[in-house]
Amino acid sequence: MPARHLIIGGGTAGLNAIRTIREEDGGASEIMLVSAERPYSRMVLPYYLGNTIAESHVFTATPASLTAWKVKPFLGRRAAALDPKASTVTLDESTTLEYDDCLIATGSRAARPPIPGADGPGVHSFWTLDEARAVIAGVTPGSRVVMVGAGFIAFTILNAILARGARLTIVEVAPRILPRMVDDECAVIVERWLRTHGVAIRVGATLTRIQEARGKRTLHFKKGEPVLADVVVMATGIRTNLEWLKGSGIEMAEDGAGGILVDDHLRSSLKNVYAAGDVARGRNLVTGAPEVHAIEPTAQEHGRVVGANMAGRDVAYRGSLLMNIVEVCHLDVASFGQWDDAAADVYTAVRPDRFAYRKLLFHDGRLTGAMICGQAGDIWTTNDVGMLKGLVYSGADLSAWKAHLAKNPFDVKPAFLATRTTGRLLPETILGRPSRSPELPQSVVTA
Amino acid sequence: MKVLALYPDRCTGCLRCELACSYMQTGSFQPAKSVIRVSPFEGHTSYAPYTCTQCAEGWCMTACPVGAITITVAGAKDVVDDTCVGCKLCTIACPYGTMFYDPDTQKAYKCNLCGGAPACAEACPTEAIVYREAETADWLGDFAAERSARLLAREAV
Repeated sequence: MPARHLIIGGGTAGLNAIRTIREEDGGASEIMLVSAERPYSRMVLPYYLGNTIAESHVFTATPASLTAWKVKPFLGRRAAALDPKASTVTLDESTTLEYDDCLIATGSRAARPPIPGADGPGVHSFWTLDEARAVIAGVTPGSRVVMVGAGFIAFTILNAILARGARLTIVEVAPRILPRMVDDECAVIVERWLRTHGVAIRVGATLTRIQEARGKRTLHFKKGEPVLADVVVMATGIRTNLEWLKGSGIEMAEDGAGGILVDDHLRSSLKNVYAAGDVARGRNLVTGAPEVHAIEPTAQEHGRVVGANMAGRDVAYRGSLLMNIVEVCHLDVASFGQWDDAAADVYTAVRPDRFAYRKLLFHDGRLTGAMICGQAGDIWTTNDVGMLKGLVYSGADLSAWKAHLAKNPFDVKPAFLATRTTGRLLPETILGRPSRSPELPQSVVTA
Repeated sequence: MKVLALYPDRCTGCLRCELACSYMQTGSFQPAKSVIRVSPFEGHTSYAPYTCTQCAEGWCMTACPVGAITITVAGAKDVVDDTCVGCKLCTIACPYGTMFYDPDTQKAYKCNLCGGAPACAEACPTEAIVYREAETADWLGDFAAERSARLLAREAV
């Protein structure tokens, strides 16, 4: 009997696992996909909001492609319980699926602060496709949009809201913007840039309630004037979807909030059960510590590693690198690895006139974190982003260059080349083999 | 597979490759938009061209959330313009710094080996860029280490 793989979650991790299983086995196994929604890429929803792509562009699988990949879909369904002894998963309508191995990739959902009015009309999250549709319907030219939260998710939709012709105000509880993605100095630069591009920003603002009257909303704060809004977007964090696993016996950190504990093959404490993406407490590549990295690149790599292992390969994962990049009004902001590390040797440089900032963090001769800010039109910004990732990822020995980089944090390329980082990176592959072109799984041979 | 073999000690820094590349990639002679980049060493007395190695992992390709980067017949990883949304994930995923983003088109772009006839190699007058059968390699590491040794030694004083 062919192996029965059960994938729970149709997001990035789940779809990457499916692709990889099919790359490895050409269609020999049985794959079941349980997904609350039709698979789409959350990463590209901001471009749908910004009107640069059609809604059809967001889907990562179609009924036709699922058929071509020989996947049996259970869409619009949720897993309700996992029985590790029987190797079964029960869905919401009491359908029970048997598996030989199972991937838990149920991801996260948007969380809102527990304040009066947070769930009222005209108050949206921007996380699922349905939520994106609601924001699209609400944000019209000239409308006043207030974004609650100035984190990464908020910043990914900032351009799109402006492109729709709305007037945007960002309110943030922390004393500055992007509190978990950049440091104070970089935040000041980004904030200054946004103000010159017509975005109103209010930091240190604790929202206490949202009042609704005649289709308008008023946001009240602990201190300061209330703010009026036609549309409120709550970008106030995410929570993992792990409640359904309570009672399964699977080992989780912080009662689920800290993710499912996994080994270097992304196997959980339960036999034949893997976890990937936002729900997996995987290895941090730089520190080796177990950590949740709720970012797209980690979900992709986790999903591929699990897919290969489910297909019978023996693939250990080196770990994920925390990284984020966002472009706001043509300013690139990116951070890698351990950018907020008091124990590191830290070198920074700023070019205020060009809105450029660099931060390099070292432990001895090794770059363990980096931050970059600069105009998107400046070609070196984009190139250096990649090279900094390569230096952090490869753990290149920069001892000879440390003094030079301390004085010239912008001069990354000669250090990258002269430390033979290219040569160190070339043999590196996630799956121990060359990657395949993304359209390949569609050529799975149908029996 | 045929790759772009780079011989930095033959490079004169004439930048013809950048002109040819930008013309092929964007239709205009704009070295700022070239995906092969010539770097100066030793106070602009020596130079090295640098571009995508078409690495086995294809970090850009596996990172793309919409499958917009595919492998061409020539073996190059290439961006499919109609599919790319411009999210820049490929630019942080590529550890070589050889993904590019065009603010005018709002798309990512990269070396695609010009469909199997790279304009940079054709334009290079000194055979510092040669398109030939080879294993892809770290073409610049030794050169860059040697040509930056004096700079580092001077700074160390």
